[in-house]
Amino acid sequence: MIELKEVYYSYSGINALRNINLQIEEGEAVTLMGPNGSGKSTLLKIINGIVSPDSGVYRFNNEEITSKKLQKPEFSKLFHQKIGFVFQNSDTQLFCANVFDEVAFGPRQMGRKESEVEKRVNDCLELLNIRDFKSRQPYHLSGGEKRKVAIACVLALNPEVLVLDEPMNGLDPRTQRWLVEFLVGLSKAGKTLISSTHNLELVHEISNRAILFDENHTVVADRPTERLLEDIDLLKRVNLVDEYYHQHEGNEHRHFHDHRFIHHHNETEYQ
Amino acid sequence: MEKQHGIPEWLIKDENYVPQADKDTFINKSILSLLSVLARIRKQSGDHQDKFQVNAAFKVFFTLMLVTLVSISTNFIFVIVINVYLLVILSVMPAQEIVKILRTSFLVAVFTFVILLPAVFWGNGYSSIMIVSKVFATVTAVNILSYSSKWNSITSVLKRFFLPDTFILVLDITLKYIVMLGEFSLDMLFSLKLRSVGNNKSKYTSLSGIAGTMFIKSKEMADDMYAAMECRGFTGEYRINNQLKLKFADFIYITINAGIIFIFVYYGRI
Repeated sequence: MIELKEVYYSYSGINALRNINLQIEEGEAVTLMGPNGSGKSTLLKIINGIVSPDSGVYRFNNEEITSKKLQKPEFSKLFHQKIGFVFQNSDTQLFCANVFDEVAFGPRQMGRKESEVEKRVNDCLELLNIRDFKSRQPYHLSGGEKRKVAIACVLALNPEVLVLDEPMNGLDPRTQRWLVEFLVGLSKAGKTLISSTHNLELVHEISNRAILFDENHTVVADRPTERLLEDIDLLKRVNLVDEYYHQHEGNEHRHFHDHRFIHHHNETEYQ
Repeated sequence: MEKQHGIPEWLIKDENYVPQADKDTFINKSILSLLSVLARIRKQSGDHQDKFQVNAAFKVFFTLMLVTLVSISTNFIFVIVINVYLLVILSVMPAQEIVKILRTSFLVAVFTFVILLPAVFWGNGYSSIMIVSKVFATVTAVNILSYSSKWNSITSVLKRFFLPDTFILVLDITLKYIVMLGEFSLDMLFSLKLRSVGNNKSKYTSLSGIAGTMFIKSKEMADDMYAAMECRGFTGEYRINNQLKLKFADFIYITINAGIIFIFVYYGRI
């Protein structure tokens, strides 16, 4: 479905991606992991056609996506309908007068009948549990509510692929848990999900495959999520886990912490 | 409604959609113009930007002096010498910057010439050529300063010229927020582009929505920054590092500019 071959990208001569080779199949739930500035967001932008690679090939549904093709309105519009992008900062995605219009923006553009638009919007609002906000102004909502509205806006287009840039950022634990379950539901329903994160706490729940970037902007591992999370040395090397140390009854205790599990101490751990 | 995992049926089905033809040139043009402004500012803040290793204070002072001397000079040879001097400086700059600076200088000079065309026809050709040459020199000098110095180093130099603290602070913050709000609005335009998957009959409504959100965002950022500055003890006085260290390049630069003053005085007496 999505194929990247020897993709390179740089911002004003500074490397952002180097030699990226990836293949993502339909229905997969993939997470891009890596430290800040490793190139995750840039790759998501390439996948969404916001920027084009300096060199290399990007194919979507066996068709090469180039900046020239994306300049053609019909091609560009169809491509953007098939891949939905939820930005890291939900504020950037919301520009309509109220939540209903915000979610209806896409279906209305697609030329759907108003009755169908209304059905889609109501379904999306219900699905994301934000029905009560339909008349509210988006910029008066909380961070978690804005994220839900942003996801609803994208879902209303019924994209084949849903791309989420740092979806858990800035959300409280309850909303994070809700979002995890929501994404799992979407994945089970057959949607292809690509998300980026450097938070390891929930990554194994929202994806079955993890792609790890390092600070050199290259892919260093592409494995099933659980297997990748077990490789503590690799995660430490790319600055995704750190060694913690503290004292218990005068004894120094050191351990790695990947935040996935509540850390319990027992006597044998530090004696 | 048939649902699977709480997902509506239409969301599971493949979307059978053929987009209608619609122009969205305004979004693309807005994105491109914002990108070019942001790229220019990013380039300004790059480490390689402070060219010639000359202290920004000298650059600002001598550029102002050069502009003043060119403006008050009545000698055509002096203006030509300055133009040649500026072109020599320009020749050691990167090709892209040479093109940009010369394009601006020529455009402004040609525009001035067109304005002065009636004077040329009335027999004031010498004065017109003189004014056009002066305009070319002035615009080139200021652009060389702008392209060869970081903007924040130029604003900090203003403190030496006894400009009010608040004025310098406003300049610094403006530069910072052009980037931050520029990046924010760029993301908003990208988002509008990604969601513009069909025929948008009210393009300008979307754009006014973006402008409104930008206004709210900038107000929030301004309020937050003011609160943060108060927390850090800001009382209206803006302190900068005022130490002036002279390097070899500074001495060469001062010598060249002393030469320019000498040429100005020499030709002024002829």
